[in-house]
Amino acid sequence: MVAGEIDISNTASVADSLRDGFEDGADPHLDLSRVSFCDVSGIRALVSLALELAPNRRLLVHGLPPQLETVLKVTGWADLPGLELCSCGGDD
Amino acid sequence: MIEPSTARADRFRHEALFYSGRSEFINGTVPFIREGLTAGEPVLVVESLEKIQTLRTALEEDADRVFFADMSAVGANPARIIPAWRDFVTRYGVPGKSLRGIGEPIWSNRTADELVECQRHESLLNVAFGHGRPWLLLCPYDTAALDSAVIDEARRSHEFVVDGGSSRESEHFRGIEACGAPFSVPLRPTPAGIDELTFERDGLRHVRELVRKHSIVVGLDQSKADNLALAANEVATNSIVHGGGRGTVRVWEDAGRVICEVRDRGVFDLPLADREAPGPDPSSPRGLWLANQLCDLLQIRTFHGETAVRLHMRLDPRVNLRVLPGGSNGVDLAH
Repeated sequence: MVAGEIDISNTASVADSLRDGFEDGADPHLDLSRVSFCDVSGIRALVSLALELAPNRRLLVHGLPPQLETVLKVTGWADLPGLELCSCGGDD
Repeated sequence: MIEPSTARADRFRHEALFYSGRSEFINGTVPFIREGLTAGEPVLVVESLEKIQTLRTALEEDADRVFFADMSAVGANPARIIPAWRDFVTRYGVPGKSLRGIGEPIWSNRTADELVECQRHESLLNVAFGHGRPWLLLCPYDTAALDSAVIDEARRSHEFVVDGGSSRESEHFRGIEACGAPFSVPLRPTPAGIDELTFERDGLRHVRELVRKHSIVVGLDQSKADNLALAANEVATNSIVHGGGRGTVRVWEDAGRVICEVRDRGVFDLPLADREAPGPDPSSPRGLWLANQLCDLLQIRTFHGETAVRLHMRLDPRVNLRVLPGGSNGVDLAH
């Protein structure tokens, strides 16, 4: 779970703490339903986290708020392999 | 009728077509399209819906082999036109074969700000395609409707011109390199008494708050206000990363638009940075691209070691409601 606003002032620390929480082997789940704002630098950090995973692992993103969906689509990142956007309400 | 000399391209050929009236428009464009079709070249016409209809009628069944796109949609923000051409050239270009395009981004009721950005776009086409694969792009200019200064600028931004039916090199063409030089056409003065916020790395949330608040106050809807705040956040992030670590932001309303300006001490010397579609590489820049997709217009200027970026968001003319801050005479947003 990550909450609040993500911009260039905190992307590095958010990415570091998420990375620390990833368990070996399993596909990590990430609930973004309580992220009220995430800019390109924040999405870039998430994309980089997904790319760091082994080729057979994916970062499963839940509860994507509409604002983040806009950024992902417009910047051409929505179809990135390794990043799966789950159409659920989050909290699962 | 265009002379056959225009029919072959061994490199990108950017040509202005000066026309007056419907028949000159048809005579200047239809043979150009037909030559391309005869040579088996992909042809894309980006024009007003009215001109597309004119061309469809004139081309008869040949129209079915032409791609058409509505310039009022593609070019609503002129910075989105180069990506559309890039997409066409990439998707339909094959080795050893040229392509053809017709694009008319400038019409008489473009606003003054839009006109300048269209003129910048015309110059940047040379930078975007001038060193790439061969193809032909013909840009009609309505000499009866447009100011003579607009026609003069077209002679500087196009390497070739068709005038009075014949094609020749434009002796006024400014050259590819000058086309991509930092842009410093003056911006309209800022109204007096506008609040200015100075920001650094830790203050981006204040930038977003300021933009959202001012946008709502002048009547922008929530979703556009959020998009403008996001675009401003990206431009301000560039100030932090590339523009000396800090900048200033101001927001005001002007002629039915909300304008947000970000200034910093950087020099913007990547002329296509706001109109190159980002690739999958996470490190490739995306902020200005995003701003161009979300906003109605961007103005990027470099003056004396300072860069200014203005983001424009059009107010919906049907909305006359003004939300007054803090007072009982204001309209409650929750209703």
